[in-house]
Amino acid sequence: MQSQDKYRIALLSAYALALHGFESLLPTPIPWLRLGLANIITLTTLILYGIRAALMVTLIRVVLASLFTGTFLGPAFILSLGGGVISTLSMGIVVSLVPRLFGPVGLSLIGALFHNSAQLFLAYVIFIQRIEAILFISPVIIFLGTLTGSVNGIVSDMLIKNLKKADEKIQN
Amino acid sequence: MNLKGLLNSTTIADRILLFILILLSLSGIIFIKEVLPKGHIVWIEVNGHPVYLLPIEKDRIVLVNGSEGNTIVEIKNHKVRITESPCDNKLCIQQGWIEKGSIVCLPNRVVVIVGTPEDELNKRVDAITG
Repeated sequence: MQSQDKYRIALLSAYALALHGFESLLPTPIPWLRLGLANIITLTTLILYGIRAALMVTLIRVVLASLFTGTFLGPAFILSLGGGVISTLSMGIVVSLVPRLFGPVGLSLIGALFHNSAQLFLAYVIFIQRIEAILFISPVIIFLGTLTGSVNGIVSDMLIKNLKKADEKIQN
Repeated sequence: MNLKGLLNSTTIADRILLFILILLSLSGIIFIKEVLPKGHIVWIEVNGHPVYLLPIEKDRIVLVNGSEGNTIVEIKNHKVRITESPCDNKLCIQQGWIEKGSIVCLPNRVVVIVGTPEDELNKRVDAITG
């Protein structure tokens, strides 16, 4: 890993961490509705710098955020870690298998779907253990995830285009 | 960014995926609501003894004779509430309409529970064992 990559990862992790923290301050109408703003950074990192960088950014973000909020190794941390890693991996695998099929919006949707599925599965295994409760809430969560996921995808798309434009300007 | 630019920046696969996800999750919400058992029975107890066992589907008003007086329970549109109670704090009335769970009026010793027939069965087992 080059030192330039390290700087990039550090910067992107800081952005992701800031968004993560900002998001936890926002009141939401439904308690388990999360906007997943940090996924914007994860997705941008994935598309611009590859799966390893994206995974690094996710891990740094999840661990540091939990340290700051005091939930490190607690139940919220396990959910956050599982969701983050699975969604990053799923997006990364889709990008490397079929690079041109999905744009940022589609990738964001895949990430949101896997994030929510992983969290529901973990919640079932660790906390709730009542399959009716999970089944009842799954479609609602996946629907909300689809909405927030598409918005995040659009934002990532804009971010990626602007970053590429800025890159071209620098090179010219 | 306008709508056209937005559409151009998504691939066909993106749009298909979005469509499928919305369709699946919405039909999932409807399907699960139909399949899962709802609270079918309104169960009213006085002093720990069941006095009424009513279907929630049928709208009606019930007079329950508690230890301090009459509590009036109303069932309407698959919801239950207590409209009148002789107790002082009227917490049971303030609780309003419920679709599931229970309303407890401690002073008058009236308990209204909305549950499935299975809940009722489990309760009996508990009563036997415990």
